[in-house]
Amino acid sequence: MTPTVAIRVLRAPRVPRSSTWFLASAVVLAVFTVGAVFAPFLAPYDPDQVDLLNIQAGPSTLHWLGTDSVGRDTLSRMLYGARTALLAPLLVVVSSTILGVLLGLVAGWRGGWLDAVLGRIFDVVFAFPSLLIAIMAVALFGKGLVAPVIAMSIAYAPFVARLTRSLVTAERTRPYVAAYRVQGFSGAWIASRRVLPNVTPIIGAQSTLNFGYVLAELAALSFLGLGVQAPTADWGAMINEAQAGLIGGYVLPAIVPAVAVVLVVVAVNVIGEELSDRIGGGISA
Amino acid sequence: MTAARRVAGKLGALLLTLLLASMLVFFSRFLVPGDPVSFLLRGRKPSAEAVAQVSAQYGLDLPPWQQYLNWLVGVLHGDFGRSLQYRQDVSVVIGERLPITLGLVVMAGTMIAVIGLAAGIVAAVNRGRLMDRAVLIGLTVLGAIPSFVGSIVLIAVFAVQLGWFPSFGSGDGGFVDTLYHLVLPSIALAIVFVVLVSKVTRSSMVDQLGREHVEVATSRGLTRSAVIRRHVLRNSIGPILTVSGVLVAGLLVASAIVEAAFGLSGIGSLLVQSVDRLDFPVVQAIVLLVVTAFVVVNAVIDVLEPWVDPRSAAGAGAR
Amino acid sequence: MTLLDISQLTLDLPDGTRLLDGVSLTVAAGETVGLVGESGSGKSLTARSVLGLLPSGAVTTGSLRLDGLSVLDATAGQVLELRRSRASMIFQDPRAGINPMRTIGDHLTEGLRLCQRMPNGEAQAAALSLLESVGLPRPAEHLRQYPHELSGGMLQRVMIAGALTSSPHLLICDEPTTALDVTTQAGIIAVLAEQRAARGMGMLFITHDLNLAASICDRVVVLSAGRVVEQGDAREVFLHPHAEYTQRLLAATPTLSRPRERVVAAPSDAPATLAPPAVLAPPAADAMLSVRSLSKEYHRRGKEPVAAVVEASFEIPRGGALGVVGESGSGKSTLARMIVGLERADAGDIRIADRERTAARTRAERLAHARSVQMVFQDPYLSLDPRITAGHAIEDALRLHDSRGTADARARVLALLDQVGLGERHAQAQPRTLSGGQRQRVAIARALAIEPDVLVMDEATSALDVSVQAQVLAVVERIRRERGLTVLFISHDLAVVRRVCEQTVVMKTGAIVERGRTEEILDAPQHPYTRLLIDSVPRPEWEGERSATP
Repeated sequence: MTPTVAIRVLRAPRVPRSSTWFLASAVVLAVFTVGAVFAPFLAPYDPDQVDLLNIQAGPSTLHWLGTDSVGRDTLSRMLYGARTALLAPLLVVVSSTILGVLLGLVAGWRGGWLDAVLGRIFDVVFAFPSLLIAIMAVALFGKGLVAPVIAMSIAYAPFVARLTRSLVTAERTRPYVAAYRVQGFSGAWIASRRVLPNVTPIIGAQSTLNFGYVLAELAALSFLGLGVQAPTADWGAMINEAQAGLIGGYVLPAIVPAVAVVLVVVAVNVIGEELSDRIGGGISA
Repeated sequence: MTAARRVAGKLGALLLTLLLASMLVFFSRFLVPGDPVSFLLRGRKPSAEAVAQVSAQYGLDLPPWQQYLNWLVGVLHGDFGRSLQYRQDVSVVIGERLPITLGLVVMAGTMIAVIGLAAGIVAAVNRGRLMDRAVLIGLTVLGAIPSFVGSIVLIAVFAVQLGWFPSFGSGDGGFVDTLYHLVLPSIALAIVFVVLVSKVTRSSMVDQLGREHVEVATSRGLTRSAVIRRHVLRNSIGPILTVSGVLVAGLLVASAIVEAAFGLSGIGSLLVQSVDRLDFPVVQAIVLLVVTAFVVVNAVIDVLEPWVDPRSAAGAGAR
Repeated sequence: MTLLDISQLTLDLPDGTRLLDGVSLTVAAGETVGLVGESGSGKSLTARSVLGLLPSGAVTTGSLRLDGLSVLDATAGQVLELRRSRASMIFQDPRAGINPMRTIGDHLTEGLRLCQRMPNGEAQAAALSLLESVGLPRPAEHLRQYPHELSGGMLQRVMIAGALTSSPHLLICDEPTTALDVTTQAGIIAVLAEQRAARGMGMLFITHDLNLAASICDRVVVLSAGRVVEQGDAREVFLHPHAEYTQRLLAATPTLSRPRERVVAAPSDAPATLAPPAVLAPPAADAMLSVRSLSKEYHRRGKEPVAAVVEASFEIPRGGALGVVGESGSGKSTLARMIVGLERADAGDIRIADRERTAARTRAERLAHARSVQMVFQDPYLSLDPRITAGHAIEDALRLHDSRGTADARARVLALLDQVGLGERHAQAQPRTLSGGQRQRVAIARALAIEPDVLVMDEATSALDVSVQAQVLAVVERIRRERGLTVLFISHDLAVVRRVCEQTVVMKTGAIVERGRTEEILDAPQHPYTRLLIDSVPRPEWEGERSATP
């Protein structure tokens, strides 16, 4: 039985949706993306250029966001840093989503022993937090972002796979799938052409949220000195380098990349949550 | 199914997961192409003595499975090999640093439980109202503050500007002083996890609030607080506990970041150092430790499930 | 003495939607008043407003007095007092209404302990005696059990006992038997009637089922779109309805005993079906669907295997309609799923148009199967793909089975929709913008697109309001007439089966216990279970008179 109108009215928590937040977040992301892509044209200085006359300088017309402990322009480094900050998580999210969706679809649609085996494998991978896998990858293959990006793609895939599996399993028992079967459509067609598109939006929303986590974790890795290596500009590495100055009160070189991280992650989370809210509302209706 | 059989089954699954995880930890080394001795002694001048020691420790001339079994037997006896960096047993090196990390995790865990639950409950009870919106916005912002950002902001404000708390080290070893030194690090560590706990608390409570049994309880004249306590919160424990279990491992790993930022010598900073100094036996041991903690905690939560949700004991579908 | 007095009650949502529009009704002590209406009529909302359970931000006007207390102006404390001692409510779905994580005992004693401050021992004793009085077999044991250990019918008795713990003056029942089987419903209704009489309570009984309302209510209030369209003595309303809406509703409601004009005649080119079918005779030469000794068991780990279907055999002649009647767990849906190939039978065989139905391995086999039998599912909200428009869904089916051009397919989509009374507008509609009845008609059109030999309808109208059900049944009847379609009609509702099917089989726990012409079965049931089913169907005591009225 579908709930009666009265019950639906009684139970619907009416949270007024504000598209302002959503829009603002989209703008933030767009600004950072443009900044990253066109960094060579937008940045006032080369990220590695040292200005010996202005070391640990405050904001000025020369250096809008000041300089760091060796006199490099913070704004320029922030813009260049956005490149690794955005591209690496994007790679992780795209590859983990593709891998996870494939595995989840197979596990959820086929079920049986295959599902059980995959589930056991996911359980084992779950026991390794993604940052730990990334750190291990560095321990094995050396510093840099290549090994962590691959490792985290693998670490995040089971999350996507488990979500996909649970969605596909739920869809599989729905009458509309049975209706397709009765009409004579093949299982492969139903799974790939009908069920997959129906679950994709929810997975997309989750992957958007994952983007924020991955960004924070990869920045953390660089902060620990295990990811992007000096002198390459990167948000996490910038904070790491600015730590010493922090005690002396030179907060700007640390705060600028920190604010950048927070802004991007907030924006991504707002968009991800908004997406999953909208989709959630649409499907259950 | 009897309770004993259920627990035995869970125990079996736990051991299997641990076994597979230990293989992953051990055999990961074989992913690196090239000579194992030179991998293990990267960045060091391999004296003949060191080569012999490493070869003996790992039994590098034995077939991989044999090496694994030797290692596993050692681990089960608390022998994780020797640290290349400290020239001590790995277990000793880790043992010295474990208390700081545990202290950090316990303090952060307490904050997470108290603040996370409180924020989630306040938001859920006021769902759709201003208070809910305010909490949600706060959570969205806090949730975007990774622990390394949290660390530097806390240091900048409370240690450097205000001078209320120390910014470095763990103090003179006294209990109170250690706690005092751990305040800022625990906050930095807790932030993201507080958000996760309060979000799951809120969403599972909001889910329960929409259920008919809550309406029934209300219709019988129970006070709002009794309804929330007995029917909403009680029924939300399951998801909250599940998420908490997943957080444990994340907390241990994230403490690496906080320890590095605050100059604490716990196993997190040890892990980072060991990666930096190419001390692979220590890395292996810490990874195994974190994974074991995760698997054990989650197995305990699994065993508790029938108490949390009576339906699961009967094998009836959840929900 | 008037217990409940609702007068000119209106309720608006903050967005301006008016859900109740001047509702007035009264309930006296010892009286049962039926609140009848289709979904969206506002009946549940009216009932909830008595207990102060209103949507947040709703604006009400008018008056609502219970026991002299004005509920709409009551303070929070007065509302609590009202819920604790004056009125109680029984909800539709006991499975959802009782906290699954607390024991039955906790559910029953919670109000006594927390609201009446009764000591635990006393509360337990009170709960025990209440469980006994609602007819549960092992009260002491039930107190320690969890809801998932009890059946739906037992849980509804627990819900009743729970509502009675506060000794209310008014008992509100919101569709208390809709989620239950008809034989279970009869027991619940008996308990309610008995308790009302014993306690002298007033009862407000909400239902969509006119026959049920007629069978237990003294007075009836008919609600439509938030307005009272008619109210009065139950007998008067049913025998001489004044409002046009009530008349339509009554006309749309299938009843067991009054044989209606059969709209469906068998197709004229197949006169054979008009002859009384030989019930246990050897298979007729022109049997379209023939099922022989079909069996299916479900095996679940750690549990006894469940025999879902046991040795079921029947056949339907070309153009005939066979009803399969049974309660939940009777195996009727499993039977349907085996016939359409969604489940594999353990034993027995299924022949459609003289072709053996086996597991489809190749594409050609799959398509041939699909052309032999199609199915319409119970829940129209779930059986259409939420992302695919109605027209696209039908077109997909057409194209799979027929590689004619796009333009031709489009034209046939419209023709098919037209056949079920829908138009081009609906072809482009997302399923969620369609009503339940429209969706079910799309589902029928989609099934017909493949031009199957047999159409299986599995509870295809049970999720629909009666007036919508009548429309859908009319569509089915017309198509049968025009196309000579063979129909297997699965339903729990004997009255609907009477309207649609010439032949009926009755199933109980997987086995067919009785078979024959529908009217003979309903008028002179042979098997005790069939008799129980028929006797359990609620009907007003004056039902016989109705057929006499013009």
